[in-house]
Amino acid sequence: MRPTRRQKLKNLHAEAEQFRRRALVGFLGITVAMLGLAAGYFRLQVLQHEEYQTRSEANRIKPRPIVPARGLIYDRNGRLLADNVPAYRLELVPEQVPDLEATLAGLGRLVALDDEDLERFRATRRATRSFRPIPLKLRLDEGELARLAVNRHRFPGVEVVPYLTRRYPYGPLFSHIIGYVGRVDADDLQAMGDSRNAALTHIGKAGIERYYESRLRGEIGYEEIETNVEGRALGVLRRHDAKPGTDLYLSVDARLQQAMVDAFQGQHGAAIAIDPANGEILGMVSLPGYDPNLFINGIGHKDWQALQAPSRPLFNRVVLGGFPPGSTIKPFMALAGLEAGLITPETTVLSTGEFFLPNQARGYRDWRPGGHGRVNLVESMAQSVNTYYFKLAYELGIDRIDPYFQRLGFGEPTGIDLSGEIAGVRPSRAWKRRQFNQEWYPGDTVNAGIGQGFWVTSPLQLAQGTAMIANGGWLRRPHLVQASQDGFDRPRVPEPQPPARRVVDNEAHLSAVRASMEAVMHSATGSGRVAAAGAPYRMAGKSGTAQRTSRRGLQSTNPADLPYHLRHQAWFIAYAPAEAPTIAVAVLVEHGGSGSGAAAPVVRRILDAWLLPPPEDTAR
Amino acid sequence: MIALLGWVREMLARLFDKVDLPLLLALLCVMLISLVVLASASGENTRLVLSQGVRFGVGLGAMVLVSRIPPARLRLWTPLAFAGSLVLLAAVFVFGTGRSANLWLNLGVFYLQPGELLKLTVPMMLAWYLHSAVLPPRWKTLAVCAGIIGLPVAMIVKQPDLGTGMLVAASGVFAVFLAGIAWWRIGLFAGLGLAVLPATWPFLLPHQRERLLTFVNPESDPLGTGWNIIQSKIAIGSGGFSGKGWGQGSQAHLDFLPEHTTDFIFSVLSEEWGWLGVVTLLALYLFIIGRCLWIASEAREGFARILAGALAMTFSVYVLVNGGMVAGLLPVVGVPMPLLSFGGTSAVSLLVGFGMVMSVRAHPKFMGT
Repeated sequence: MRPTRRQKLKNLHAEAEQFRRRALVGFLGITVAMLGLAAGYFRLQVLQHEEYQTRSEANRIKPRPIVPARGLIYDRNGRLLADNVPAYRLELVPEQVPDLEATLAGLGRLVALDDEDLERFRATRRATRSFRPIPLKLRLDEGELARLAVNRHRFPGVEVVPYLTRRYPYGPLFSHIIGYVGRVDADDLQAMGDSRNAALTHIGKAGIERYYESRLRGEIGYEEIETNVEGRALGVLRRHDAKPGTDLYLSVDARLQQAMVDAFQGQHGAAIAIDPANGEILGMVSLPGYDPNLFINGIGHKDWQALQAPSRPLFNRVVLGGFPPGSTIKPFMALAGLEAGLITPETTVLSTGEFFLPNQARGYRDWRPGGHGRVNLVESMAQSVNTYYFKLAYELGIDRIDPYFQRLGFGEPTGIDLSGEIAGVRPSRAWKRRQFNQEWYPGDTVNAGIGQGFWVTSPLQLAQGTAMIANGGWLRRPHLVQASQDGFDRPRVPEPQPPARRVVDNEAHLSAVRASMEAVMHSATGSGRVAAAGAPYRMAGKSGTAQRTSRRGLQSTNPADLPYHLRHQAWFIAYAPAEAPTIAVAVLVEHGGSGSGAAAPVVRRILDAWLLPPPEDTAR
Repeated sequence: MIALLGWVREMLARLFDKVDLPLLLALLCVMLISLVVLASASGENTRLVLSQGVRFGVGLGAMVLVSRIPPARLRLWTPLAFAGSLVLLAAVFVFGTGRSANLWLNLGVFYLQPGELLKLTVPMMLAWYLHSAVLPPRWKTLAVCAGIIGLPVAMIVKQPDLGTGMLVAASGVFAVFLAGIAWWRIGLFAGLGLAVLPATWPFLLPHQRERLLTFVNPESDPLGTGWNIIQSKIAIGSGGFSGKGWGQGSQAHLDFLPEHTTDFIFSVLSEEWGWLGVVTLLALYLFIIGRCLWIASEAREGFARILAGALAMTFSVYVLVNGGMVAGLLPVVGVPMPLLSFGGTSAVSLLVGFGMVMSVRAHPKFMGT
């Protein structure tokens, strides 16, 4: 055969013969396989018939899933932030309903069903196998329950099922921390597949509820139900218990959280408070918020529209919001300068109102026309002297700034236990090349020195950095869950955290920066002195203003003259008490004008709430 | 009036003159069984049975039309049809919709599953390529074949639709087998395949792994796939030698058996008609396959021969995989029992395939190179 195989010409006759042989082999193979299949069925149907016959007759047992109670969520003092309340829901098993449209119409006369209910039901039905129950309406009221009880026999395949529904007693207060659970939708079902999780009706959609979904959910169990010939349940034969969800204790303090919301006095913005000693988040607000209770049983169209407002109530500014840090970058820039040996606390720089790069006509301005005169580190911080940091950044160069700020956690996610955290932008040559395919200019470095230009940070990153300065150079993962508990009779287990990283270990450098930040609050020239006036404790901080529009020409812009949406973002970072800090905060007031004017008073109110004893009369 | 009737009769006769009668009769038998079993499985849901009847009608119409297209013309269209189906398949990744995987294109009037088209166009393309190649195929030829099979299969598996991907791959492999690939090469590929198989585990999706695990141990997932298999085995086993009788299958009627109109309909047949019913249906299937292979062997031209043969052998994969799956002999893969399960898309594509086979039968004189 070898010579013929080498032949390059087609041999039509040989091909036909070859095919005939192959077809025969194929057919014989298929015949053998079919016989094998028939033999397999013979084994099941004839040899093992008795056994399966018995099992079929005894087959009155169906598994029914048991959904455990969802884990509860507490604040650090044991106040209940998310609990479960009993309710009833209406369910349909499509396969057991003879005429679905008629049943839906009939149920519509007993229970208030709106278009959204029906639409959601139809969408879920498409994604669900027809023998699984589909919820039609949640949280039936008393009247509906009574009407259904009387008419139940008219609707085969329709069931009223007791269940536990989520409730958030504090409403909007914790919206951006706890998030919410919502009804399982078609996408969730697709993700869960054909497992026992298909019995779930609710799933965490945002915040802690989403991040810790698998632990809060627990493990679904099932019971074996004996049924009669019509498939109606007669009794429970065996239970495979469900494992209840884990209860979570947050590090958040409900009282401080409320004080943080009040501190904004109706303005929009974000604030986060961290315990510098361990990274625990004591409070975190993003304003405006929303009421998570709206989402539990499916949010209505009107409520949903209201949450799409330009102020973006659903948007967690603390974790997802990115803003230029403005002058709040200066303490970190000063640290970089000290660590690089470029400056000492005694180094002075002359501020003339404008800073020039060699051989460039364009000037970089101080906020005070005419400049601040000759300033050292403490004065540069207290008065927020741009020229000092223009020069410092220029001398450091972006190639030293970039790795140092990476070390401090800028431009990297902090690892907080919420999903979707942004990394922000830590400008560098490589980043600019990647983003804009452009050269890095010395002017970019100068702008970076005062937190303008390409910088993007989240309030969370600034708070983490502030806590690092406060606690002696330790970078810790900010986190919300402090401990967990599997059932009330079990011990509370502290949540393991990644080890802290010491990113600054020179105590002299740290105390120089701390002293300069104290001067911001308590010196005669400090930008935060008005907000700090009269406090019974010492604090340290730094203001910042993130510009939405750059200054053009020679006239200086008065923030209050700008249209609302173009006004600056006011920043303030702080920690207190200065000598032994127990709280570090970052506050952002949107469209608030200057950091010292708009954000510093908010910071003062938050620090007071944490450090001063609560006023007796409101506590009662 | 009589003239008119005569004209109608003549038109019908002309329309059906390309149809292979034994094959048509066997197919009609299977479809009839399908409707009867469906009537029982659906709890005598007339609407469901009627709608399946309509689908069969559409499929038969398509089959008759396709049987009138001479293989020469089919061959001419093949590269275009293959390219077109690939484009549609790619479009699924952009515009696709679906319940557990994006398999469907919404064409406004109806939903199209491009994976289904590939079950026809892949063997067509291979037949087109192999009819002009030097046979038996050697390395270069085989490499091209591997490309024709591999690209669409990779895309379908990515969607992810393992069942369809497997059927498309099988149709291609059978075409190469029928073209006369040397036995030692078959052995080499089979050996390589077996060696590589364990390495695919990390690429499987969670639900696919779950299915494999429940195949090994059905009791591990008593609420999901494992339950289906256990209940399906009870249905089949309790059917016994002669079955419980039509409408008497307690497993299906007490809702212990899920999906009993679609993927698991063969268990309903096994429960109600017993082993006799199973063997009867399998015999019908075997007759259909044998008839198609015989038609293919009689063809005088490579394209028609390989196409008809590959389609016939692929048909057997449906039967073996679904039959093995519902009896717990194979892991669960989404493959329907051909022309028995409820559902239109696969019925129509199968019948169009049989139309092609009939066209081969009806145009024996077709020669070409």
